[in-house]
Amino acid sequence: MFGDRMLRQETLKPKSVGATLARFSQYFRPYWFGLTVVAVLMAVNAYTQVIGPVLIGQAVDCYLAPAAFGEGGEEGAGIQLPAETDLQTETDSQANCWYAPEVATGSPVRNDLLRGLLNITLVITGYYLVGSVTGGLMFFSMSWTGHHVLRRLRVRLFNHLHRLSLGFYTRNETGDLMSRITNDSDTIQQVVSFALVQVLSSVLLILWIVWQMVVMNWAYALISLSIVPVMGLATLWFSNQARKAFRVTRQSIGDVNAELEEGISGVREVQAFSREETNIEQFRQSNAVNRDANVKAVAYTSALAPTLEALGFLGIAIVVGVGGVLLLRGQTLAGSAISLGLIVTFLGFAQRFNMPISQISVMWTNIQSAIAGVERIFELMDEVPEVQEKFGARPMPAIRGAISLHNVEAEYVPGEPVLKGINLNASPGETVAIVGPTGAGKTTIINLIPRFWDVTGGSVRIDGIDVRDVQLYSLREQIGIVLQDTYLFSSSVMDNIRFSRANASDEEVIAAAKLAQAHDFIQRLPDGYETVLGERGAGLSQGQRQLLAIARAALADPRILILDEATSSVDTRTEQRIQAALNDLLKGRTSFVIAHRLSTIRSADQVLVLQDGEIIERGTHDGLLAQRGFYYELYMNQFRRQEDLPVQPNGSRPPASPVSVRARPAT
Amino acid sequence: MNQRRPFGRPGGGPGGPGGPREGGGSMKDLGRSMHYLGRYKIITSLAYAALFISIGAQLIVPQLVQNVLDAVTDSVFARQILALPDSERATAIEQLPLSVDQLTERAVSPEGPIYWAMVFIVVFSLARGLFAFAQAFLAQKVSQDLAFDFRNELFEKIQRLSFSYHDRNRTGQLMIRATDDVEKLRMFIGQGMLLAVQSIVLLIGSLAVLAFTNLTLTLIILPVLPVALILFMVFGSVAQSLFGEIQRRLSTLNEILQENLAGIRVVKAFVREREEQDRFDNAAERLMDQHIRVSKIFSFLFPFIFLISNLGQAAVVYWGGRQILFDTLTLGEWQKFSLYLIYVFFPVGQLGFIVAQMSQASASAKRIFEILDAENEVTDKPGAQPMSQVHGRVSFTDVTFRYFNSSEPVLQNVSFEAQPGETVALLGGTGSGKSTIINLIPRFYDVSEGRVLIDDWDVRDVTLDSMRRQIGIVLQETNLFTGTIRDNIAFGRPDATDAEVHAAATAAAAHDFIVSFPDGYQTAVGERGTTLSGGQKQRVAIARALLTDPRILILDDSTSSVDVATEVLIQNALDRLMVGRTSFVIAQRISTVVNADQILVLDRGRIVDRGNHEELMRTSAIYTDIYHSQLVEDAAVEVEAPLVAEV
Repeated sequence: MFGDRMLRQETLKPKSVGATLARFSQYFRPYWFGLTVVAVLMAVNAYTQVIGPVLIGQAVDCYLAPAAFGEGGEEGAGIQLPAETDLQTETDSQANCWYAPEVATGSPVRNDLLRGLLNITLVITGYYLVGSVTGGLMFFSMSWTGHHVLRRLRVRLFNHLHRLSLGFYTRNETGDLMSRITNDSDTIQQVVSFALVQVLSSVLLILWIVWQMVVMNWAYALISLSIVPVMGLATLWFSNQARKAFRVTRQSIGDVNAELEEGISGVREVQAFSREETNIEQFRQSNAVNRDANVKAVAYTSALAPTLEALGFLGIAIVVGVGGVLLLRGQTLAGSAISLGLIVTFLGFAQRFNMPISQISVMWTNIQSAIAGVERIFELMDEVPEVQEKFGARPMPAIRGAISLHNVEAEYVPGEPVLKGINLNASPGETVAIVGPTGAGKTTIINLIPRFWDVTGGSVRIDGIDVRDVQLYSLREQIGIVLQDTYLFSSSVMDNIRFSRANASDEEVIAAAKLAQAHDFIQRLPDGYETVLGERGAGLSQGQRQLLAIARAALADPRILILDEATSSVDTRTEQRIQAALNDLLKGRTSFVIAHRLSTIRSADQVLVLQDGEIIERGTHDGLLAQRGFYYELYMNQFRRQEDLPVQPNGSRPPASPVSVRARPAT
Repeated sequence: MNQRRPFGRPGGGPGGPGGPREGGGSMKDLGRSMHYLGRYKIITSLAYAALFISIGAQLIVPQLVQNVLDAVTDSVFARQILALPDSERATAIEQLPLSVDQLTERAVSPEGPIYWAMVFIVVFSLARGLFAFAQAFLAQKVSQDLAFDFRNELFEKIQRLSFSYHDRNRTGQLMIRATDDVEKLRMFIGQGMLLAVQSIVLLIGSLAVLAFTNLTLTLIILPVLPVALILFMVFGSVAQSLFGEIQRRLSTLNEILQENLAGIRVVKAFVREREEQDRFDNAAERLMDQHIRVSKIFSFLFPFIFLISNLGQAAVVYWGGRQILFDTLTLGEWQKFSLYLIYVFFPVGQLGFIVAQMSQASASAKRIFEILDAENEVTDKPGAQPMSQVHGRVSFTDVTFRYFNSSEPVLQNVSFEAQPGETVALLGGTGSGKSTIINLIPRFYDVSEGRVLIDDWDVRDVTLDSMRRQIGIVLQETNLFTGTIRDNIAFGRPDATDAEVHAAATAAAAHDFIVSFPDGYQTAVGERGTTLSGGQKQRVAIARALLTDPRILILDDSTSSVDVATEVLIQNALDRLMVGRTSFVIAQRISTVVNADQILVLDRGRIVDRGNHEELMRTSAIYTDIYHSQLVEDAAVEVEAPLVAEV
């Protein structure tokens, strides 16, 4: 059953196994002691499993064979064979009995045999006990070590992700990163905590059994083992086919789930457009594709266990048949005779082959993908953060708020400049509004100030200090940011505001919320400030989320404020609140605003009009309008509509599109 | 992203029957789901037939091993007797139930039975392999068929369930039922049950063979079985909650990771790296602790069970050996015994897990039937007629509406009438009832009291399909579906020609950006395709509504997250869309309101004022209040615009 699950997983091939393993082994170093323990336990455990069948064989040869062959009478001890009848088989068993030679060679009394049998049974039981204890301890130590290693890996990766700069996050989608990291750590976890030790102990056990069989009688061993390579090949073939087939099912179940998700989340649209029938039919089809892919894949998994089992029976037949015939004929094989005990021992070994072989072949591929997973995680950890603190960077002194950009150039992709020589100066307390079309470089400018991104030419200075010369921590601490898409965490409202200053008291948080005009609606939430927000702030309106973001920035009480105004429309009252809150917040701070609201632009000390990475116009709102340039166009575009509409009575406009008059009978 | 739901119930909470996922199901639900097996009678019976044959073949093999070993020992024994000096041989033979001839035969031709036994082992192991495969494969096939049926039925039901049901149940919950729950039920009914039968048959069969071979020995190892069974069952039930806890902790960890990746700007901006790293470290440690806790139990339990089975074998070594010495057991029987013993322990383990699986499956069955049995509140009434082409007059008569289970009305005694071609603007705050009104027109909900008429049809008297096809809807939050842009525009009319689709896109100001994509109208959108911007989505949605050419139009005139130029395009497209249709607009813009034929001002479920712009400006305080608060910005423009013009 576990095999089925492992076969379903996605598999990957590592590129450089050696280098990855060498690096990964660093993580295991602190746990070398645990690993040594695991190795010792593994050896002891394998030994107990090898010795079991051997001892049972000894029990046969030393105590049971003489009885089975020697005392044939119905009444048990009826016939005593005379000492001089020296029979071939007796010598075989005797020759093979090393455990209690004195019993086998002498003329044992039944009580001696019984006592001997009890003794050997107790020894076997002892080995079973040791085997179970070592097996349990081995798995536990390995899993303990594996999970510690995995935790280290996770934490290091997470910390590294924090160091990476925004450029990395623009190149990589969150969803992709997430699924990569979660999938990889899942595979790695399975392997380090479970599969690895399973495979290693299986390999060890098989080798040891083979060795033991060869030592006991190499020719008989080779004959008995002849079926093993076939088992290995069969498992390998079936599991490879199954993996291939499951790859198809993963895709098709993805389609099914996507349709399901869309069908449910878009159910209102579906009903509004009367699309139920079409959707149901479509779903039925992808559902059928998935079913068929699954049926195909399970054909292989269903065949795997029966094949192994049948081959196992075949192995038993060979051991018993060959051994039995040789024993009967009294023939020797490889110079020594086959005893009954040897057959029993080999029978015991033959049964122990099934499990380890299937485990090795199924899990081997998973170990490979885990190595590939480790490799990919290392790749992430090798990403060099583009923004790095200089060695010996000093803390940023308390900011007054003068900001200057001097001939600033920036690019995300080498050779594709986003900013081309930007110059600007903002005095402490000034508000700078940046306007321009999408892709003009507005966001890039505001990313440069808290040094989320580094310039490729020129410099950004705050109070005359180049932002690259100071510690990031001390710089960003003094800058507040309100982003357009307010990011909220799934914790309480209180914690979300406190995000900007972890040590702020409840009173300070509430004061900030009041300043941001958020206090009222927070109080109306079911649990007030302790209301836990859903994922990404679910349950709040767009406007409310903006107010929270403003409160967050207000709590930080930064000297410099960066604001990316939201474009989405919110209801009018909320809109007024946001405006009022922003006005309060901007007061006395140097602010950079990506502006979408006229009121903001009008009250700004400077308006910069950005296009294609260059400042094409600058000045105040009135001044820019008077220029009748790009800004004037922009402005007119935005408001021409409002000037047009009130004049035209509804319905009197000319029919605008051919579609709207499409073949509908006039009614 | 924006969590606002297009037609959502304002502030609608969870609750309803889709509550927590815990709580067991009953056998009744399991029994009911077994009826689904009836659709696959032939395959199911074949699977069970294969099961019996394969178990039979499996049970014969140890017997054959015994035959070989007994043939060997008998023959050796016979030779020994025959080799005795004459006097002793005679006495020995007297004591045996065999004649000299029989003995001689055994002594000289012992290999025949061995060869035969080997041939039989090969034959039976092939049969075993073949039928075991047939059994496993057929069981899997049936289980996949069942999953297919359950998923289809669930999807079909979910697609048809009315809005009120979807208000009470979240997408995630419904998803889990159609995925996880179906999977669990499939595993149990398709495979678990078969495995249970297999285990029981194998257990009984092996025990019977054992008892017949040697009752004393069987009685010695018998007490071990219940111990093993109980252990497995305990583990099966414990495992569920342990693994559940692992899942919970893992998702906490992943949530932190997700938040930090998606919110990296905020984290960096507020210099929260240290705290977040601690939080993550903590969660990673908690996850690790739980993993270690689970592996502690595993590391104890599995070796322990293994030990029990081994102790059984050890008992057989001694007590069986003892019987050989006392001559009540042959060596072949003794080996057979230890082989059968494996067959006894294996099904015990399997049964333990199946019991655990069963309780999960019955809980899953219960949740699945909860959906399948859910009552659909809005359905075609018996004998509902198709609604013919309407003119577009819409009237509400004393409409009162309450949500499911709620005594508080969301709409109270609302009456109004819209003439064909008129534009009705709905104004009011959150929770005032605007969305409820627009939801009642296409009968997404049924009124609690009063009537909704389109032309002279009560919406409850006509077929949903014929009525909704004449109503178009465009909302701020636009859901696009996986497929091409063309598919999305033709969403409501899959049979539309390319020319019609292009015309609709052009009218919706979407054509230009669509053709700018490399694949044009064939560009894939949705989950795994290109992501369209908010403004582009909105225009596709407008094209979608235009293409159905509805007589009645419902729309939300706000635009979100778009730049100024796009906003203008969208507004113009909406205007074009409204021409000549009866339109209901949730108005955010003053221009819409000013141009509307009727303005309904809503407050707490009642129409508090109505009229056109001029009338309301004179008579309604609320209206003027809203108007002026929104006009703050626009007023500035009006003052300024002439100024600019003069310059």
